[in-house]
Amino acid sequence: MRFKIQFRGKEYEVEIKEEERGVKIKIGDKEFLFEKEKVQSKGFFLEKRDFSKKEILAPISGTVSEVFIKEGEIIEKGQRILALSAMKMENEIVSEWKGMVKKIYVKKGDVVKKDDKLVLLE
Amino acid sequence: MIIKRYNKVTSTNEIAKKIKPPPWTVILAKEQTSGYGKEKRFWFSPKGGLYFTVVLPKLEIEDLNFLTILIAYSVAKVIKEKLNLEPFIKLPNDIYLNQKKVAGILIENVIGKKVLFSIAGIGINTNIDKFPENLQNIATSIKIETKRKVKNFELLKALLFEIKGQIEKMK
Repeated sequence: MRFKIQFRGKEYEVEIKEEERGVKIKIGDKEFLFEKEKVQSKGFFLEKRDFSKKEILAPISGTVSEVFIKEGEIIEKGQRILALSAMKMENEIVSEWKGMVKKIYVKKGDVVKKDDKLVLLE
Repeated sequence: MIIKRYNKVTSTNEIAKKIKPPPWTVILAKEQTSGYGKEKRFWFSPKGGLYFTVVLPKLEIEDLNFLTILIAYSVAKVIKEKLNLEPFIKLPNDIYLNQKKVAGILIENVIGKKVLFSIAGIGINTNIDKFPENLQNIATSIKIETKRKVKNFELLKALLFEIKGQIEKMK
């Protein structure tokens, strides 16, 4: 496959050729050979993450004493989402983000550990 | 410390949560119409008792685990040292005298990624002469136990000094 590219105002002719040893890329008068064995990675991929979804995790362990939101509701940053009772303390958990409540993982009476998922926002 | 005094409030914690004053502000009331403890359980709060809420500085989330016990310890220590009594702490948040409840503590926090607001509501049955029938076997006052009247404001000052000292040590 041959094509031309422009980089910083200069035009280069590029040729890509698949060979038995690997892929040869010729740019102008320079050749680069990417040998199969050397190029192949061993499953080094970043985990696919969806940054449009945000999970609110339990900041402390405790019992869910009240849920203030509903699935489908749009909540504001700083809005209280639920109450957790722990060590005879009442703790209002507020959202760090604005978003739509996609899923509520807990209900009143549930016991949660620190970092358990509470709510998924979208 | 700034002390905001009220004659009658629903609850000192409710007032603190509503106006969100800066740390070390104290909401003090002579009487509460809807005083409450854990799980919104009613706390009998007629005139004569000591009812106040201290706005605490923002602590680390990890430190919250010790907060209730620390405040309960502070209250019991002041009752013991200033009034020469032998209170018993029913962990983590109630103080007993003669096997009856004499004081209660309710910590309330607002938490996002970190602690955003934190208050300690404290109710002490100091100068209460009589409890309703349903509470007579489980609650008492310092006045009933000692036949002495407590100077509420003096007790408050000693409590605030102790609580502030303990929290600052923790920080």
